[in-house]
Amino acid sequence: MSEIKPLLEVKDLCISFRKGGGRKLPVVDAANLSLNRRKAVGIVGESGSGKTMLCRALIGTLPRHGAGIVSGTVRFDGQELAGAPERVWRGIRGREIGYIPQSSLAGLNPVLTVETQLVESITAAGSLSRQQARQEAVALLEQVQIPRAQQVLQARSHQLSGGMRQRVMIAAAIAQAPKLLIADEPTTALDVTIQREILSLITQLRQELNMALILVSHDLAVIEESCDDVMVMYAGASVEAGPVAALSNAPRHPYTRALRVSRVDRAAPGQDLEAIPGDAASVGSWPAGCRFWPRCALADEDCRRDPQPALMPAAQQLSACIHAERLSELEQ
Amino acid sequence: MAALTAHAGEKLQENAADGPLLEGKDISVTFGRGTEAFDAVRAASVTLYGGEAVGIVGESGSGKTTLARVLVGLQRPSAGEVWLEGERLYSAAAERRLPRSERWKTQMIFQDPYSSLNPRMRVWQAVAEAVQVWHNLPRAAARVEALRLLHTMGISDDQARQFPKSLSGGQRQRVSVARALAPGPKVLIADEPTSSIDQSAQAQLLNLLRHLQSERGLAIIFISHDLGLVRYLTSRVYVMQKGDIVEAGETQAVMEQPQHSYTQLLINSIPGR
Repeated sequence: MSEIKPLLEVKDLCISFRKGGGRKLPVVDAANLSLNRRKAVGIVGESGSGKTMLCRALIGTLPRHGAGIVSGTVRFDGQELAGAPERVWRGIRGREIGYIPQSSLAGLNPVLTVETQLVESITAAGSLSRQQARQEAVALLEQVQIPRAQQVLQARSHQLSGGMRQRVMIAAAIAQAPKLLIADEPTTALDVTIQREILSLITQLRQELNMALILVSHDLAVIEESCDDVMVMYAGASVEAGPVAALSNAPRHPYTRALRVSRVDRAAPGQDLEAIPGDAASVGSWPAGCRFWPRCALADEDCRRDPQPALMPAAQQLSACIHAERLSELEQ
Repeated sequence: MAALTAHAGEKLQENAADGPLLEGKDISVTFGRGTEAFDAVRAASVTLYGGEAVGIVGESGSGKTTLARVLVGLQRPSAGEVWLEGERLYSAAAERRLPRSERWKTQMIFQDPYSSLNPRMRVWQAVAEAVQVWHNLPRAAARVEALRLLHTMGISDDQARQFPKSLSGGQRQRVSVARALAPGPKVLIADEPTSSIDQSAQAQLLNLLRHLQSERGLAIIFISHDLGLVRYLTSRVYVMQKGDIVEAGETQAVMEQPQHSYTQLLINSIPGR
């Protein structure tokens, strides 16, 4: 395993919002992620856990959102991207790393036709004529299984259903056959039946194009269906990472376990769900030490002490819980 | 439909002694006119007995939210009637709005707790306002009652003094429930209440709704596109597709032996299956 160079390696990444007077508000402070070529990793976490900011760091759009990388490294295909200038990002974004944003409605320009927007993504690569680009656009729409591609090219986003819009966004993201596709909650606003279709489309395209995939979701079940590995984020930090099967059979962080056992399919009707007590630590008021301790049944004095525990090997995965070996106690 | 409703027959018989609590009879809702006319709901009939939790499941555009809005009196049906405790509450022939004296009986919570609370009102004020309106209490007493309701929803006094923006999505949705409970309704309609909140908050809210139903006897209509949630929370379910109820029955039976291909599709789409 160790001789394979990962396609993407994020180490101890810290991201802050820039506030007035040179102050900074940390939103991610210990993100770690490793992804091999053609593999799929899921990032799971709740709102405010920093997963979307991590994605933005990977496509170089943090400055547009008033944020920046404070420290840490992002190595992609042998190149260091943390702190890279916009000139470098222009060669990466779209070409090497495709991105499907959370909201397909916001991702498409409502006054432009699908054709105009797709052709823009295609010609960004270089030397195609408009006519060639148009043919390419039709081929892309067919690749994302949009029927009547010619008609859809002339449509504007409001004329398309949510599922169709998301397919168009996927077409734009894969236009230049990137090595890595990042999908940030691609199915959140969609019906369950459409969600199923979009997820299988992404999986199919990944195989056809030999892409690696980062799939962000708040739903562990979605990730378990589509990914090889998973990385769990809580309050700006990676708290557990490893193969999907390892985390689902024997999680080594209490938060991962809690995400699993609080699901509705884990209780019979008429029984209480095992809810996580309290509320997620919000940005700007993270507790000292492990950020999950106020909600954790295993927490003791050691958990409340800074620094925040780092990811360490535990069984087949990495866990940031200092009591990773005691997780079975929670089952009683 | 006759065969479908017979499916849920036994359970209904148990509760039927008192008659239904809430009934929607042959409800249709048509938006627009002439060639533009669009049937959001077609001749849908639903029945809710005291103390039970019933699900309405379907995708966007299936008509489930429109049907719910008719049941709480927010939307006048184009045809059909709504009956509560054996009396006609609302009908196609009625005035535009449900009479004020009837409105407290059925309350609704919505998908998006961010937009359903006034951002410029403190949390306790949002609930106290509802208490004052429905119980005609003086301000101080309304405040006490509001804080009590918020407590039962797991909202502390400290959180009650905040504005909604300082609360998490899950907390805000629990505030919405407190506000909906203020008039002491007989029926609570929850429209996709967990779809915009985090998973750890989802379990808290579902436990809370289940306790309201099982311990306090509140009848609940739970609307969702997710059959997994509906399976957990409800004993009977109506499945809607494009304005029609295509299947109805006991939730467990519908999940185990769906009779309609659309229900089967919904079941197959539950993540993790």
